[in-house]
Amino acid sequence: MASVAEERNAVAKDTSSAMQTASGGAQGISGDMRRTDGVAAVALSALNNLDRAVAVLDPEGRVLLENPRFGELFGSDAGSAELRDCMGPAAAWTERTWRCEIARRDGRVFSIETVRLPQGLLVTAEDISERLAEKTRAAELARIDPVTFLGNRPMFRERLTELLATLERSTDTAAVLTVDLDRFRVINDSLGASIGDALLGVVAARVRSAIRRGDTAARLGADEFAIIQLGQPQPQSAAALAKRLVDLLGRSYIVEGHLINIGASVGIALMPADGGDSDQILRNADLALRRAKQEGRGIYRFFEAAMDEQMQARRGLELDIRSALALGELALVYQPQLNLGSQRITGFEALLRWHNPKRGLVSPADFVPLAEEIGLIVPIGEWVIRTACHEAAGWPQPLGVAVNVSAVQFGSPNLVPTILSALAESGLDPRRLELEITESVLLGHHRSALDVLHKVREMGVRVSMDDFGTGYSSLSYLRSFPFDRIKIDQSFVRSRPDDPSGMAIVRAIAGLGRSLGMTTLAEGVETEEQLARITADGCTEVQGYLIARPLPPERIGEFLQSRMESATAPATAQGGAAAARSGRA
Amino acid sequence: MTSGLHRLVYYSRNRITGTPAEVAAEVDAILASAQRNNSLIDVTGALIFNAGIFAQVLEGARRDIEVTFERIQRDERHGDVQVLAFEEVESRGFPSWSMAFVGRSREGQNLFAHIGEATGFEAKRMEGGRIFRIMCAIAMEEEARVV
Repeated sequence: MASVAEERNAVAKDTSSAMQTASGGAQGISGDMRRTDGVAAVALSALNNLDRAVAVLDPEGRVLLENPRFGELFGSDAGSAELRDCMGPAAAWTERTWRCEIARRDGRVFSIETVRLPQGLLVTAEDISERLAEKTRAAELARIDPVTFLGNRPMFRERLTELLATLERSTDTAAVLTVDLDRFRVINDSLGASIGDALLGVVAARVRSAIRRGDTAARLGADEFAIIQLGQPQPQSAAALAKRLVDLLGRSYIVEGHLINIGASVGIALMPADGGDSDQILRNADLALRRAKQEGRGIYRFFEAAMDEQMQARRGLELDIRSALALGELALVYQPQLNLGSQRITGFEALLRWHNPKRGLVSPADFVPLAEEIGLIVPIGEWVIRTACHEAAGWPQPLGVAVNVSAVQFGSPNLVPTILSALAESGLDPRRLELEITESVLLGHHRSALDVLHKVREMGVRVSMDDFGTGYSSLSYLRSFPFDRIKIDQSFVRSRPDDPSGMAIVRAIAGLGRSLGMTTLAEGVETEEQLARITADGCTEVQGYLIARPLPPERIGEFLQSRMESATAPATAQGGAAAARSGRA
Repeated sequence: MTSGLHRLVYYSRNRITGTPAEVAAEVDAILASAQRNNSLIDVTGALIFNAGIFAQVLEGARRDIEVTFERIQRDERHGDVQVLAFEEVESRGFPSWSMAFVGRSREGQNLFAHIGEATGFEAKRMEGGRIFRIMCAIAMEEEARVV
């Protein structure tokens, strides 16, 4: 068949001259369609003034009717060829309507819609260049972080995915660095979000100044940035960039008159060695970043497979500890506390034990920090308070029971109600319950923690300062609340006789306790020699293997019975050491 | 009314490696670019390089100081930047220098031997004043010699 363009042109020329006489300027209506009634005139006028290009083609593709805009756009040979390419061969015109797009070299894009009519094909063309550009702009904006004008997380992941698809498998040719700002939150909270945002802008500018053309920088979260570094040699290039970032981002900033000091930690994952997809690469870079932060901040770390294993192990422990409470795997044991003056057992410290069928006995040192981190210490701590009160209420003598309460629990509004209901349900005399807290409780939310302490004290509950001598050992904490007792950390009790500083500290704390009206208890006493020394240093109470190991609840009655018998026996009347020895479990 | 005039004093450690002549050439380049940049935005001040330590005083509108300081911070030729003072001041100490280079006459001396011992915020403020005074004194002395 003849080309559509040739046919079309022939018809167009023929009809346009006819129309010019009929309606003064309107073109492109074929003879058999010429009508003179008003409706047709209106329709024609509307068609001629449409910004959209409109034409009717016959089934062979010849133009039967067109408006000026159509002629303008597709009147040329090239234009009509373009249209024909877009619409496809006539044999394929089987649908009722179909669409296609023409993209011109000048950037204009037209959407072509074809509708099958009884008389032929109605073809309309709309210029969608603006709409597409708007869409592109919106898509670009959606990929930019509005604070720093770096890319955002979606943009970063997309770039990473594209890159991973093209990387050679054999050598590491690129790296992902994740960067976390240390102390940014403090700045943001104290100076306000507008200074915080301005600071992030300067940080972003410094990041930009440190990377090379072709590298990608993005802001992934509040104070988290990430970089894709291209090029070799790796890992040297990534290490050099990480070092530069730690130095550069850690230098002082002056933002709106404020001198600001923050730091940066960096984690690095190499590509393709450290992951096959963007998720894995980012996760591994984050694991390395986490390690950098754990190891002191202001440093960089490369991802290592062991980090992943540790993370998996931690996740496993987390799952197990979450179910430990429900499965009844937790238990309390009680370590006796001896008054050195009266040589009587005055109470017990409740200690948490976790028996897991798979793991065996798990040390509190291994799971309590994790439970604190994930907030699980709150329900576990509640269980400890309730269980300790309940079990102590059943003891043959009304002795004290000391329970460790973590700083995290003080952040929970449930602490006071829990203590109240535990006391009420067990019927335990509040004066027998003692809360052991560490300085960390007072460190964080000092005011609200003191309020809680005063509330429990009003109920009659006793409060002791645990692990004193480690941590800050600030005298101001001792002054901030009238503690009943100071517990001296075992590291001082166990210091060697040739290390005079340990014993000097014990002596100093004992003296401090005396003058502040607090009793002093030395923890971890294991030998007669230690007992003799801390007695001489003026401590009032002791706890440790020398007195007794922690006892399961069912053995407390028996233990107290044996103590009473040995105390009344004449052989042990001469001194504490002998009494303590006989009471050792 | 306050002029908004601010003064910043910092010191940093040299990271330029090379022979003394190469280091001196690099310091000259730093000085030249500082003079060029500062003259455009009415920032004045002085730079001293002594015993491996840069100390610099920058004076000008707060915003200009911030921009200049940020550029200085990104320079890899020095590190361990310690800001000793950043405060509003009544008048410029180096009004006629886009960047005076002072201390050539004292090359044999270690002018900042005391740096490194001072810690804490108050100490830093004192250091800021001290360095500023040292630099003013040397600048005046050198000025007198030239005249």
